[in-house]
Order: sequence, then structure tokens, then C-alpha cells
Amino acid sequence: MAVLDELIEISYGCAVRVALTLTLVAVVAAGVWNLNWDTVLNLDFTGLWRFRVAIVKGFGMTLALTAAAVLCGILLGTLLAIAMQVRFRPLQWLVIGYVETFRNTPILVQLIWIHFALPVITGIPTTAIVSGVIAIVLQASAYFSEIVRAGIQAVPKGYWEASDALGIPVITRWTHVILPPAFRTMIPPLVNMTISFFKTTAILSVLSVGELMTVSGRISNATFKPIEILTLVALIYFVFGWLISLSARKIETAMANREAWR
Amino acid sequence: MTDKEVVIDCRNVVKTYGSFTALNDVSTSIHRGEVVCVVGPSGSGKSTLLRTCNGLETIQGGTIEVLGQHMPGTRKELETIRRRAGMVFQSFNLFDHMSIRENLVLAPITTLGLDRSTADQRAQDSLDRVGIGNQIDKYPNQLSGGQQQRVAIARALMMQPEVMLFDEPTSALDPEMVGEVLDVMRDLAAQGMTMAVVTHEMGFAREVGDRILFMADGQILVDQPPDTFFTIPTDERLTTFLSKVL
Amino acid sequence: MNFDFNVLTIHYPAVLDGLLVTLRICLFSLLFGVIDAVFLCLGKLSGRGAGYRVSVFVVDFFRTIPEVVLIFWIYSCLPLLFGARLSAEISGILALSLLVAANVAEIMRAGVQSTNPGQLEAAMSLGIPAHTIWLRIVIPPALQRMSPAFVNFLTELIKATSLLSTIGVAEMVYQANVLGNRTFAYVEFLTLVAAIYFALIFPLSLFVRRAEARLVAQKCR
Ligand SMILES: Nc1ncnc2c1ncn2[C@@H]1O[C@H](COP(=O)(O)OP(=O)(O)OP(=O)(O)O)[C@@H](O)[C@H]1O
Ligand SMILES: [Mg+2]
Repeated sequence: MAVLDELIEISYGCAVRVALTLTLVAVVAAGVWNLNWDTVLNLDFTGLWRFRVAIVKGFGMTLALTAAAVLCGILLGTLLAIAMQVRFRPLQWLVIGYVETFRNTPILVQLIWIHFALPVITGIPTTAIVSGVIAIVLQASAYFSEIVRAGIQAVPKGYWEASDALGIPVITRWTHVILPPAFRTMIPPLVNMTISFFKTTAILSVLSVGELMTVSGRISNATFKPIEILTLVALIYFVFGWLISLSARKIETAMANREAWR
Repeated sequence: MTDKEVVIDCRNVVKTYGSFTALNDVSTSIHRGEVVCVVGPSGSGKSTLLRTCNGLETIQGGTIEVLGQHMPGTRKELETIRRRAGMVFQSFNLFDHMSIRENLVLAPITTLGLDRSTADQRAQDSLDRVGIGNQIDKYPNQLSGGQQQRVAIARALMMQPEVMLFDEPTSALDPEMVGEVLDVMRDLAAQGMTMAVVTHEMGFAREVGDRILFMADGQILVDQPPDTFFTIPTDERLTTFLSKVL
Repeated sequence: MNFDFNVLTIHYPAVLDGLLVTLRICLFSLLFGVIDAVFLCLGKLSGRGAGYRVSVFVVDFFRTIPEVVLIFWIYSCLPLLFGARLSAEISGILALSLLVAANVAEIMRAGVQSTNPGQLEAAMSLGIPAHTIWLRIVIPPALQRMSPAFVNFLTELIKATSLLSTIGVAEMVYQANVLGNRTFAYVEFLTLVAAIYFALIFPLSLFVRRAEARLVAQKCR
């Protein structure tokens, strides 16, 4: 925004820039000054090479869990959102209760609850991976249902009225009239949610489900060198998450251009 | 008019946005007490011309002098010029989170060093002048469009400007509110305010304007007093334009 | 099975201790994080130069890596790198401060950059000095616009504190685990803790929903 930039320039923009740079230099200098050079000089990232298979497998698990969360989440979330549109009060209250419970408690608590408390109630023990998938899918469905609900609400009223007026059957109305435009407006929040659940998979490592964070814990325990593996893992997460958000921005501009064309 | 002091002087002004030329070698001047109306098709550069005169756009060529001061000048000089030249926008641009009173007194208190009671008094006077003296403690969103635009004019008047720039002040208004704003501007003109008015209201331009500029494609094609502007069109594009708007 | 309230009435003080730790961590990480956020936000607004590029990277980085990775990195790597011993709680506060800094900086930036350009032009054309424009025209409405996103992040922060149990900070989830191990009343303690989280977070979520609806209504008017 041109005016805001002008305001920033006349608000001692240059001085602020210089001050920030100096602060930065000071912070970095203080960091370097206090570094424990013994540790730094003994860092050995090449040692991670022999764990490459484990790391790749772990990351594959992370991606699989993300995919499970997102796909099942969208599917269940859509069903929940449709259930909310049904004019039947008890069903609506049930859905609201479900969604709010999973949105307003930490996934870690849900995870432990499902793994340790649920078997006590049902008498059926679940493996770590099953508990993990259940927890992340349940939470994903709650979050995605909110997105789908907002998407459905953004569909113009006229679409409903027109499909009523044309006598379009209920199922066709959902699959052909309401959901397609709803999903189009939902793409940006869906991508953000995907990144969010990509991050959430790391929490499943508390049950050692074998995704990237679990693997990094095992490696750091085996080598007694946490810095190398944790830094590498952080970078992997960052690069991949950043790629997703980059593609999201590409999709958004592409969609904006397509809209402009029409 | 030419014996009067020059208030705004544009010489060979060029304004470009990337490869697009919005103002192409524009020269004109406005003298004290004059009312100059600017008309022309959409995208012809009317707003751009007005905004360069207030330093809201930087220019790529030529010179602009406002009240004897080279634009944009230093930051302090620019601020001073902006205080002495009032600007009214198409979209009002009132500060929505402040009451009408706060909208009006903010600039004089912080820039002219007025004390609170003087500023309040001046706010009341300005609002009376635009005919809405009883609305001082409301918020912008509680007023109609016409009232909001009159508040915007009153806000500009608070600085006791020597020249006022209006950018399509009635274009965002419902038809029934256009008149009340034009009345206020007519009064200002009658009181001798120097004004540059971008407008689509041909009746107003004809009645109030001392000169009318016709712009197209970033150039001033016609610069005439109203009687000749409408009756003896010298430019083919002006003829087309007038046949569309009249 | 039966839900055993008895065990809760005996052991609830430990859970409350955990709650206190949770709240304390939130408070301190907010305090430190928001201060950093101001610098990062200034950096992002400054538009160019080293400060800008570093701020952009820092914000993106700490918003993109998983919270657990950040927590473990700080907890197990910082002491080795700087030869300083940090308690689990301090490490946790440090990690969450970075989380707050990155996210709140982004929220602030969005708030400032969504300022109505027309109002800025009006302020400039009145010759109002820059610091007054910031204090009176830019910041107050920006704070209002930013409040839903900020409170929403607050709910994320409260949820993120639970992750500190993994490095042994004695907050609520940690206490529930300990008590569960000791009494085998997992269901009871975990449910209690979940309910406390819900009681903390749900009102904030409601606020977010209301405030967002209000902002949309304002825009439509
Ligand atoms: N910030 C900008 N970036 C690029 N081009 C711009 C910008 N501002 C204006 N223009 C272009 O400059 C030209 C002149 O714009 P200006 O707003 O001055 O027209 P106008 O005569 O005021 O039109 P209208 O009657 O519609 O208000 C237009 O073609 C417009 O597209
Ligand atoms: Mg215009």
C-alpha cells in the first residue's frame, strides 16, 4: 500500500531500519560470544547419513498421517457440516458438542485420553498408531467441518432457492449445486489447515507412532547427539511446510486470475 | 484574473505508473479566489492531477508549486503545504473510530497547537457552516452519506485552508444528497475560497466554475470559461463527452 | 466402569497446581513473546534491509515448524550450545515465547496493513504529523481488527502449553499423567484436565466467533 509505505518512510523509516539492523548484530554477536565452541566444533552432520533410511521412512509416515488426517477430516467434516444444515435440533446439538469439544481441548489430551482412558471404558486396547490416527482424524474432522460450514454459508441463498424451484433432488443439490462452489472458496483455509495438521503429526510422537519426530528421538537417544538430528528435522519440517504454503499462494493467485477472466 | 496571486502552478507535469502515463505534460495554474472545475472521462487523470497537487503522488517530470512552495519539498514543508491546502475525497475518508468532534479537532490541535476549547469552538463553527452543527457528538457511521461528506469538508475547513481540492465529492452519494453537498461548495465559492473541483456535475461546473478544464488521456485538451466551454466546443472529444453527459 | 469422583476430591490440589503452572507459562511467554513480536512486526513493516529479511524468515520459520520440535530443540540443544543449564519450565517459556513472537508479529502486521488507505490519505492531507497518525489513526482500529486473530492465537497457545508435559514441565497434563499412574484413575484425571482446558478455551472461542461476525457486519455496512 503506497500511502502506508509513505507513512513508514516519514516515520523515521531509515532510522528504524538502522536500529533493527544494529539490534540484530548485537543479538547475533551476543549469541556467538556465548557459544560453547567445544560443542559447535564437534558438530557432525555427516554422521546422520547412516540414518537416512530411517529418516526417510519417518518422514513418509509423517506424510501418510497428514494425508489420513486431511482426507478423512474433509470427508467426516463435510458430513458433519451437512448434518448441521439438517433442521433437526438434537442432531445439531450433538454436532456442535462434538466440534466444540475437539476444537477447544489440546490434541495431546485427546490423544492420551484415547490411548489410555478409552480402553479402560471400552475394554478394547488400541495400538499407538491406531490411537494416534483416531485422535488426529477426530480433531481434523472437527476443524474441517468448521471450514466446510463457512464455505457452505458463503454459497449465495439464490442457489438454494433456485434448486428448490427447479425441483432438484436433495443428493444432487448437494453434489452439484452447493458443494462445488463451496469447495472453491474453501481452498485457501483448507491448505492452511493441511499445514497445521502436518505440524500436528509431530505430537503423535509422544506415543512413538514412528513418524519423523519419533525417529529423531530414537536417533538422538542412540547417538547422544541431539543437535544434529533435531536441527535437520526442524529444517525438513520447515522446508516442506514452506513448500505447501508456497503452492497455496500459487493456487490462490491462479484462482484469482481465473475469477478475473470470467 | 491573471493579476491575482498564483496559488497552484503546474508546469509540464508528467506522472507515470510503470509504463503507463497518467499525466502527460500537463500545465495549468489556479489563481487566488478562482474556482476551477475539472471534467473528463473516467481514467483521464483528473484525480491524479489533484493528488499530485497535494503531494499524495510523486511526479516523474515537470514542477508543481503550491502557495509559492515547490512540491514535494522537505517533509516539514510538505506537511505545511498540506495544512494550508484542504482536500476532500470521493469516499469521505472520515476516521470511523472517532466522533465527529474528534475528527475535526485532531488536526488543528496536533498541528496548529490550538487549545481544546478554541478547537471545539472552531469545530462548532465549521459544522454550522456546512449546516450540521447539531451532529457534533455522533460517530461517522451514524450519519448519512451527504452529512459525512459535509463533515469531511468541515474537517478540511478547520485548518482554515487557502485553497481546497475536491475529488468527485458527490460521486459516492445517493442522488438526493448531492444537492446538500453542492450547496456547501457553492457557499464556499461565494465566500471567495480558491477551489479545484473534479466533478461530473456539469450544472455545478457551469454555474460555479470560473474555468473548466477538460481532460482526456492524461492531457488538458480544453481550458475555457463556462460560457464558451459548453457553447463553442473546440475539441472533437469534448463534443463527444458532452453529448454523453448532458 | 464407574467414574470415581472420590479420587478427584482427594487429588484435585495437584491438578490445580498444574493449572497454575499452565497459566504462569502462558503469561510469561505472552509477555516476552509480545515484546519480541513488536520488533519483528517493525522489521516486517520496514519493507527492506537486513531487519526486514531476518524478520520475514524468523516469522515464517517459527510459524512453520511443529511446536514439539521447537520445544525439544530448545530443551535439549540450547544447553549444549551455550553451556548453560535451563530448567524445563524456562525452556518451555522460551520456546513458547518464540511461538508467540512469530504469530503475534504476523497478526500485528496484518492489522496495520489492513488500515484503510483513504483514512491515511485524509490524515496526510491534513498535515497531521506521523507519530499522531500512528497513535490516533492507525493503531486503535488496527488493535480492534486484530483482536479476533489474537484471541484465537491465545487459544492455540493454551493448547500448546500441554506439549510442555513432554519435557517434564509440571503443568496440568503432566500432573494428570502422574496421578493416573499412581491411582490408575486415568479416565477421571484426563477427563478433569480436558474439562479445565475446555473451560479456559471455550469462552475465548466464543469471543472470536462473535468478534469475527461483528467485523464482517462492519465491513458490509
Ligand atoms: N496506483 C495506480 N497504479 C497504476 N495505475 C493507476 C494508479 N492510480 C491511477 N492509475 C491509472 O491512472 C489513470 C488515471 O487515473 P485517475 O484516477 O486520475 O482517473 P480519473 O480521471 O480520476 O477517473 P475517474 O473519473 O474514474 O475517477 C487511470 O487509467 C488509472 O488506471
Ligand atoms: Mg477519480
